[in-house]
Amino acid sequence: MNLPTREQSGVLIVSVSGRIDHLASEEFTQAIEPILQQCKNGNRPVLLDFSAVEYISSAGLRVLMMASRRAKAEKGVFAIASLQPLVQEVFAISRFNLIMPCYVSIDAACKVLGS
Amino acid sequence: MKAQAFALLRAGRGRALPLLLLALAILALHNIDSTPLASLRDAQFDRYQRQMPRVREDEPVIVVGIDSQSLAQHGQWPWSRDLIARLVDHIQAGKPLALGIDIVFAEQDRHSPEVLAAKLPSLSRSALAALPDPDRILARSLGGGPTALAIVGLSNPLPGSKQPSRPLPVFTQQPALDQVLPNFVGALASLSMLEDAAAGEGLVNASTDTLRSNTDGGILRRVPTIGLIEHQPFLSLPLEMFRLALREGGTVTPVLGRHGMEALQIGDYRFPTQANGELLLHFGRASSNYYLSAADVLAGIHPPEMFSSRFVIIGFNSTGLQDRVITPLGESLPGIDIHAQVIESLLTGAALKRPVWMAQLELAALLFGGLLLISTMPILQPRYAVVSFVALLVIICGGGYLAFHLGKWLFDIASQALLLSPIFISLLANNLIAADSQRREAEKHLLASREEAARVNGELDAARRIQMGLLPDPARLLADESRFAIAALLEPARAVGGDYFDCLMLDPRRLCLAIGDVSGKGVPASLFMAISKTLTSVLTRRQPDLGQAVRNIEEELSRENPEFLFVTAFIAVIDVESGEMEYVCAGHDAPILLRQGEVSRIDTAAHGGPPLCAIGDYPFIADRVQLQPNDLLCLFTDGVTEADNGEAMYGSKNLENAILQAKTGDLQVAVNRLRDSVRHFEAGHPPSDDLTLLLLRWTG
Repeated sequence: MNLPTREQSGVLIVSVSGRIDHLASEEFTQAIEPILQQCKNGNRPVLLDFSAVEYISSAGLRVLMMASRRAKAEKGVFAIASLQPLVQEVFAISRFNLIMPCYVSIDAACKVLGS
Repeated sequence: MKAQAFALLRAGRGRALPLLLLALAILALHNIDSTPLASLRDAQFDRYQRQMPRVREDEPVIVVGIDSQSLAQHGQWPWSRDLIARLVDHIQAGKPLALGIDIVFAEQDRHSPEVLAAKLPSLSRSALAALPDPDRILARSLGGGPTALAIVGLSNPLPGSKQPSRPLPVFTQQPALDQVLPNFVGALASLSMLEDAAAGEGLVNASTDTLRSNTDGGILRRVPTIGLIEHQPFLSLPLEMFRLALREGGTVTPVLGRHGMEALQIGDYRFPTQANGELLLHFGRASSNYYLSAADVLAGIHPPEMFSSRFVIIGFNSTGLQDRVITPLGESLPGIDIHAQVIESLLTGAALKRPVWMAQLELAALLFGGLLLISTMPILQPRYAVVSFVALLVIICGGGYLAFHLGKWLFDIASQALLLSPIFISLLANNLIAADSQRREAEKHLLASREEAARVNGELDAARRIQMGLLPDPARLLADESRFAIAALLEPARAVGGDYFDCLMLDPRRLCLAIGDVSGKGVPASLFMAISKTLTSVLTRRQPDLGQAVRNIEEELSRENPEFLFVTAFIAVIDVESGEMEYVCAGHDAPILLRQGEVSRIDTAAHGGPPLCAIGDYPFIADRVQLQPNDLLCLFTDGVTEADNGEAMYGSKNLENAILQAKTGDLQVAVNRLRDSVRHFEAGHPPSDDLTLLLLRWTG
């Protein structure tokens, strides 16, 4: 899985795309690992751009949960933005908005997280 | 021992032995004449000729044979010279291009006056003087046209040997030629009177090199074109005839190269020769068409015009007298036929070519072919290796035949094929050994992966047994219950997920329902599911406040959770007397409620929390809802709503419609219908997650 990154207002934006089902979640775990290593206290906030994610399964949610836990332990900032309706529904059902900060758009997130 | 042989084959990545074999092959080809390969090569050259003999289109040469019929009619050989003179006259009358006589008239005729005088002293001088001299008659006849007589070059001076008097008149003598051309110390030649009358003399020696003849196995492949008798040059008889036919234009020029003679030029005709001046004859099939009997010619049966503009050879064609040779075509022919074939070859320029550089080309081809095999074979699979070797042989052999067909070049394909074979065989052996060890390696891998798969399957089986073994059987559990009815099913996906459901009576009034979905797969998820199911039943029984009970469950689950698993769950406690339902939703799909033909969702938005263990200490609070009699509650997992047919997901709308359509008389039938609706939607796509459905009807 390819995760292109860019920076906006001092926020590291990671573009995620495709279906994060049981199979893809393994790749997602590995692809996000180097990004998580940078997500520490004092480093740039990490924002996942989910605008191109069509579906996320419970295995995908688990990856997000573990990433969020790890960022919290390192006192880094880890957030997610631009959820598609289907993914938004999964988040709503599983209450993942309680686990990690979710934003409507990248711009909205950058306003809050940016320097 | 076997291992040592293998090691030898495989040395240098299997290339050391083939390289050694190639070196030996090149050595053998370089010294081919001292190996048995030489006869193989000559046999191949014969095969070329046998398969593509020279086409004899017209008949420029006529052989007048002194055959059995002639001997029967005109008496024993030697004939009197005046009879031969008559034969010559008959032929000369037709004005042939040249006449060759393959007979040596070394001694005086036995009817010459001098011989008779010695034999019969009583004869008077006048009578003797009146007698005709047959030698003189023949000499006169010989002068009637361009005639060549035969001479036989001798290696040892025999009695009667002499120096022939008619060497090549114009010949650019070159010292280098003396080294390569056959040299004779003397010759058997005709009487000086006849020599002087004839226009020329030609050698009829078949081959001077006895060793050469022996290895040829008696097959005549080459004929000398020019030889020296006491340093005087003489052409062979057919060439001499040829020269005479060209009259003044018949200047003979040998073409010299670095290794000796390369070609001989007579007038405008040029043909390639071997270094020692020998001609490699391209034989045509023998035919009796151009043979005439001397008796018939003497009888005047054939018109003289028959000989006009033709070469004519007089020679022996009788069983008792002739010398016979075997040609590469496998035919046994009278020696004079060779003369005819030589003349035909010269006219069509059809000599075979095997220059000195051909042997070097063969060496180069062998080296190239061998190196090609050695460089490519080890990287090819055995079957392609065999195919490419066959292709190489086809190219070499095809090239050899093509070269013969197009330019009469003699390229030795037999030695190439034979010498490349050991190289190929050792390379192939190495290939097969490599392929065999690869196959063994692959089999080992396959076995290992099978064992691994079996081990994982065992683990998955264990996980499945744990999962399925923990599920209650609602029909058996609540068999005589009239206040409510329950039906449930759980169909595991191919890979084990962590779904579960539970239903139990906490006390005679309170029914506890639970459905959950553990994230992750395999044994860890199954065990996690087992723990959460057990904790749910124990803690809800012990703790009257459902919200607190769920908080306790999460606390217990989170205590030992190294895999960071979490579980979405919906847990409800129903007072089956009053219909009041208390529930907590932890990140799970909101159950569907069917009330009087209308579907709605249980409200989980207000106090619902994240999955258990996702945060670890979420303050769960229970919600309440009042059920009405005959309300139908449907609990499900995402294995239902996220069932996939490759294009879309089943979704909760489809589920709601299916619940509306399902006849709810027998819940077990209804739950099966819901399941069928999902499977029908999937249209054969394998499910990726467990499918769990639980239906409850409160009758009130």
